[in-house]
Amino acid sequence: MMATSDPVVIETRGLSKRYRTVTALSDCTITVPEGRISALIGPNGAGKTTLLRLLAGLARPTSGEAAVLGSTPRQAPAFLADIGFLAQEIPLYRRFTAEDHIAVGAHLNPRWDGKSVRQRLESLGIPLDQTVGTLSGGQRAQVALALTLAKRPRLLLLDEPVAALDPLARRQFLAQLAEAVAAGGLTVVLSSHLLADLERTCDHLILLAAAHVQLCGDIDALLAEHQVLVGPRKDTTALERDHTLVQAVRTPRQTTLLIRRNGPVIDPAFQAEDVGLEELVLGYMGQQARPGPAGRTGPAGRTGPAAPTAGTAGSHLTSIGDDQ
Amino acid sequence: MTWLVWRQHRNQAYIAAAFLAAFAVLLLVTGRQMASQYESARSACAAAHTCANLANTLILDSPVLSLLVTLTVVVPCLLGVFWGGPLVARELETGTSQFAWMQSITRTRWLTAEVGWALLAAAACGGAVSALVTWWSSPLNALNHQNFEPSQFDIQGIVPVGYALFAVALGIAAGTLIRRTLPAMAVTLVVFTFLRLVVGQDFRSHFLTARTLTFSFLHPQHHPLLPAGSYWLISAGLVGPAGQVASGPNSGGAGLNFDGIPISLGAMPATCRTLVFQASREFGSCMASRGYHGLISYQPAGRYWAFQGIETGVFVVLAAALIAVTAIVVRRRDA
Repeated sequence: MMATSDPVVIETRGLSKRYRTVTALSDCTITVPEGRISALIGPNGAGKTTLLRLLAGLARPTSGEAAVLGSTPRQAPAFLADIGFLAQEIPLYRRFTAEDHIAVGAHLNPRWDGKSVRQRLESLGIPLDQTVGTLSGGQRAQVALALTLAKRPRLLLLDEPVAALDPLARRQFLAQLAEAVAAGGLTVVLSSHLLADLERTCDHLILLAAAHVQLCGDIDALLAEHQVLVGPRKDTTALERDHTLVQAVRTPRQTTLLIRRNGPVIDPAFQAEDVGLEELVLGYMGQQARPGPAGRTGPAGRTGPAAPTAGTAGSHLTSIGDDQ
Repeated sequence: MTWLVWRQHRNQAYIAAAFLAAFAVLLLVTGRQMASQYESARSACAAAHTCANLANTLILDSPVLSLLVTLTVVVPCLLGVFWGGPLVARELETGTSQFAWMQSITRTRWLTAEVGWALLAAAACGGAVSALVTWWSSPLNALNHQNFEPSQFDIQGIVPVGYALFAVALGIAAGTLIRRTLPAMAVTLVVFTFLRLVVGQDFRSHFLTARTLTFSFLHPQHHPLLPAGSYWLISAGLVGPAGQVASGPNSGGAGLNFDGIPISLGAMPATCRTLVFQASREFGSCMASRGYHGLISYQPAGRYWAFQGIETGVFVVLAAALIAVTAIVVRRRDA
């Protein structure tokens, strides 16, 4: 377990971002303590990118406030020097070589570790003197990640950083990330759809769906708070009164409940099981499909990989059972 | 930032420098030939006392070269479309602005460097082309006295610098607002061309109040009262015996060219009209005896640099306003 007294690196209150007709993020209140690797998870269009951009100061909130490393995200060298942000599109100057990018970073940042970039890329066999436009997508991602790390930031905000990497590179990168965080002084928020990877690396979770925060906290604590109950088909009103029901799957024979506990569960009819990260995440995502009565039903994706279908906010990743 | 700006745009700079160098060599070679040709023609005509007619007999420039020099009128527009348009738009389009804006510098500093160098380069380019053209044209200017002609005025002196600054600023602002490269380039082309034409055709002649002058037709050659040098004729007409002003501006149609001033035939008394193409002295006394005078409004040759300055100032102020808008948008809007 993490010490709960770690200083807070990210704190937002009621953060909202509206574009003309779309609410990208609504009333987002989260806290991320120092030294965490936080997984930012949510279906497509849930507001992950918007949240990261607000935290980096690239976008301004419509309402609410954010404190990042003790100050409001802003266009100031002192703030920007502490933030490493990597956008999903991996923006690099296509006609620049990696070496050119290293030189740019050296000119524009107070503490710049160009050597680390060269070492990283050389060990990966990525040429430094070739324009990045001619590199493969994965190689470009590696260049961009190395450049983001070379800033020596105190907070890393990574939007789908491993999406373009092959499984081995992905694992290596996440391991290096964990190493850097362990060395101290670094906090990471990374969004991804690859739950299995995140489970191995991350110790903190921010779950977004339909522009709202569903969950935010240390993963161990969240897992301990939740429980899966399996029992016969029966009335669960009493249970729902004592605990918060996240998701219920009812078949004629069996009821499976995902609950957030408020104290011990004392119902001998139900068998309590520990909950895994994937189960927890999918449970909350599935819950979001509720507003629409036409949500896809069926046990799809309950144990499958978190490969969300492209769709609107709060897409029915795993809308399970009849959830009245 | 300077290093980044140079690395980003050095290819454009090389291309511009190559074009400029080729153009400079061409104009320096032919310009020296023209100057010496003009000088020898001057001394020849001075010996023969025929210098008054020199403009009609001496042809200094070749048509191809003249066309090329005239075409330098598009240089500011090209700078605006190909330098200004993509400057911010391409960064926003490809997302590299997110790379630049997440380094430890403010967007203002980023913009100052990008825009500052672009404007400086544009002014240098426009200025260099204009300086070459102005120098190259000096024998022609001395010979033809057409400095105020749009085909000369727009490519000489300091106005090309103002045009270039404005065009690039327009491209930058359009790119910042539209956020896409090609539409920004198109908008730059259209708006710049439109504004240049409007200012040149509708506003320029009103920068300073035109002077008017009435003159008699009695002295057909080298009337001492007519303005000297390369003045800008705004309109020409006739003043009748009752003081009525006949004929409008120097529009087309049949007319008399009186020492370079077109007078329309329709406004003349019929009896004098028949004398127009005969002996000019009779025509002059015919007009004078019936109380007709010529009337012109014009900008004197001495105002050339005032007009250059005013027009340059107009475009520089417009450029400054566009850059201010750009700065506000870049600072306030989301990346």
